[in-house]
Amino acid sequence: MRRLPFEYSVRNLGRSPLRLSLAFAGALLVAALATAAAALLLGMDRALSASALHANAIVLGSGSEESLERSEIQPAVASILAASVPGIPAIAGTALVSPEAVMALPVEIGDDPEPRRALVRGVEPAALLLHPGVRVVEGRFPERGASDLAGEAMVGLRAERQLALPPGSLSLGTRVRIEGSEFVVVGRFEAPGSVMEPEIWAPLSDVLAAAKRTTISCVVVALDPEGGAALQDLAAFAARRLDLEIAVLSEEEYFASLRRFFAPLRWMIVVAAALVAIGAVLGGLNTLHAAFASRSREVGTLQALGYGRGAVLLSFAQESLLLTAAASIAAVLLCRALLDGVGIAFSMGTFAFRVDATAVAAGLAAGLALALLGALVSALASLRRTIPEALRAP
Amino acid sequence: MPLVEARGLTRTYRKGEQEIRPLDGLDLDIDAGRFVALMGPSGSGKSTLLNLLAGIDRPTAGSLVVDGVDLAALSRRELAEWRSRKVSIVFQLYNLVPVLTAYENVELPLLLHDLPRRERHARVVRALERAHIAHRHDHMPRQLSGGEEQRVAIARAIVTEPALLLADEPTGDLDRSSAESILDLLSSLHRDEGRTIVMVTHDPRAAERAQATLHLEKGRVAETIARTGAKESSRAPANTEAHA
Ligand SMILES: Nc1ncnc2c1ncn2[C@@H]1O[C@H](COP(=O)(O)OP(=O)(O)O)[C@@H](O)[C@H]1O
Ligand SMILES: [Mg+2]
Repeated sequence: MRRLPFEYSVRNLGRSPLRLSLAFAGALLVAALATAAAALLLGMDRALSASALHANAIVLGSGSEESLERSEIQPAVASILAASVPGIPAIAGTALVSPEAVMALPVEIGDDPEPRRALVRGVEPAALLLHPGVRVVEGRFPERGASDLAGEAMVGLRAERQLALPPGSLSLGTRVRIEGSEFVVVGRFEAPGSVMEPEIWAPLSDVLAAAKRTTISCVVVALDPEGGAALQDLAAFAARRLDLEIAVLSEEEYFASLRRFFAPLRWMIVVAAALVAIGAVLGGLNTLHAAFASRSREVGTLQALGYGRGAVLLSFAQESLLLTAAASIAAVLLCRALLDGVGIAFSMGTFAFRVDATAVAAGLAAGLALALLGALVSALASLRRTIPEALRAP
Repeated sequence: MPLVEARGLTRTYRKGEQEIRPLDGLDLDIDAGRFVALMGPSGSGKSTLLNLLAGIDRPTAGSLVVDGVDLAALSRRELAEWRSRKVSIVFQLYNLVPVLTAYENVELPLLLHDLPRRERHARVVRALERAHIAHRHDHMPRQLSGGEEQRVAIARAIVTEPALLLADEPTGDLDRSSAESILDLLSSLHRDEGRTIVMVTHDPRAAERAQATLHLEKGRVAETIARTGAKESSRAPANTEAHA
C-alpha cells in the first residue's frame, strides 16, 4: 500500500489549535485516569500483602470483625500471651510480642493550629522486631517518659505527603500535638509499600494517655516456624481464655480479610475511573471526529489522486496516535510527579498511589486504545462516503 | 480508437422513493489530443459524467472504456491505481492539501509512482514551471491567490502525465483575468503538448477555448458544436452518438 507522507500527519495536528487542545486534554484525562486507577490498585495490593511474608499472628478483639480500628483488647493481653503460650520466639530475652494501638487522631503540626487527622500507632520497642519492613532511617526510636513536658514520636517517610504537608515539615525536632499532648519528632522510618509508612509512631503508654484510652487494638505475635508456637496454639489459648475476648488470625489471613474488605472499594475505583474516562473518551472522540469530518473534501481529493482508503486510514491513525502518545506521556509523567506515593486515607487504612511501570503501561495502553478507536471511528465515517460525495462537502 | 468510449452510459441516484437519472444512456467518443468543453444547465449531469471519466464513480449501466481499459471491470483497488496513472482532475475550488506546500502538493500524486527521488524532483519542478508557479514552490496554499492555487492544482494534475485531464469548472471561482490566464494555460497544454482535456464550464467564453462543446441535456449529449481553427461551427443532431 502506498502511504501518505508522515509529514502530512504531523502537520495536520497543527491545523486547529483549539481542537488539538481539546483532544489533547481528553486523551490526557483518559491516560491519567487509567494510570491513577492502576497506581492506586497496585498500591493497595502492595500494602495489603507486604507484611504477609512474615510469620506473624495478629490477636484482635473478638467482636472486631477483623477491623483494627474497631478492635479493643486489654493491654495486659500481651504479657499474658507471652507468659502463657509456650514457644513464642524471643530475642535477647524479649518475647516477640508487640502490643499496638492504632487510631486516627487529630494532630497539630508545629505552629499550625489546624489539626489534621493522622494515623497514630502506639508501640513498644518490640514492634521493630515484628515488622522487619520498618526501618529507622533518621534519628532513633521514640522512648517512653523521656521528659515530663513532651513525649517522643517517630514519623513514617510518607506522613508528610499523607498529611498534605510540604517536605521537611516533620523533620527531627518538630513538635506535634496529639489530642493536645506534646510530642517531639526524634526519628523517621521507612516501611516501603506498607500501610504503616504514612503513620506516626509513639510509645504505647503515651499514645493511650494522649487519647485517654485504656484498651489497645491488637497484639502482634511472632510464630515459630521451627515447631514452637503455632497459630493453633494461640487459637487454642484464645478459646480457653474467653474472658480475654480475643480472636487470633495469621497475618496472612488478616491481610486476606483486609483485601476482601477492600474489594468493593477496588471496584468503586475502577468503575469511577471508567465512568469519568468514558466521558473523556466521548469528548475526545467527538473532537477527533469533528477534525477529520471537516477534512472530508480533502479525503475525497486524496482518493481522487489515487490514494487508497488504507492510506487515509493509516494517516489518520498516525495523527491521532501522535496526539494521544504525547498526551499519555504527559499524563504518566504528571501522575508520577504529582501522585506517586501520595496516600489516600480510607477508614481502615492508608493507601499510596504506586506509579510504577505497570501503572505507566496502563496509562499508555489507554492512550493507545483511544488513538486507534478515534482514528477508526472518524476515518470510517469519512471513508464511508463515496468520493463524489466527499468532494462535494464544504 | 477514441481515448474515451462511452456507450449507453447511465447513472441513477435514489432519493427515497424518487429516482434521479443525471445520465441516461449517453453515448460519447472523445479522441486523444482533443480539448472538449462540457456545458449544460445546472444539474444536467456534467459533474456526474466527469466523475465517471475520472474513475471516482461507477456507472449504473452502460460501458465506459478509457484508453483501452473498461473501467467497470476494475476493482476498487485497481481503479485507484488506474486513477493515479491515467487521469487527473482540476477542481473548481482547487482542493490543495492546506498543510502541504505548493511543491509538496504537486509531489503528492507522484509518491504513488515508483520513481527515483531525483526523477521525482525533476518532474515536480518541470510541472511547476509549466504551470508558471515555480517561484511559489515553498508557499502554503493559504498564502496563494485563487489563480495561483489553481496553477498549483494544474501542476499537480499534469505531473503524472495523465492520458486524460479533467477540469470541473476550473475558472468558476476566479475573477476574469485569473480565469483568462488559467484558460490560457489549459489551452497551451492542449496546443503545445497535445493533452486531452475535458472541461466542464458555465462560461461560453471559456468554452470557446475548446475545440468542441458538448451540451448535456436530459442525461445525453444534446448537441455538439465543433470549432475548427476559426469560428466556423457544425451542429450535430441531438440524440445521436456524439463524437468530439
Ligand atoms: N450523490 C448523489 N445523490 C443524489 N443525487 C445526486 C448525487 N450526485 C448528484 N446528484 C444529482 O444528480 C444531478 C446531476 O448532478 P451534477 O452532475 O452534479 O450536475 P451538474 O451538471 O450541475 O454538475 C443533480 O440533480 C444532483 O442533485
Ligand atoms: Mg457540477
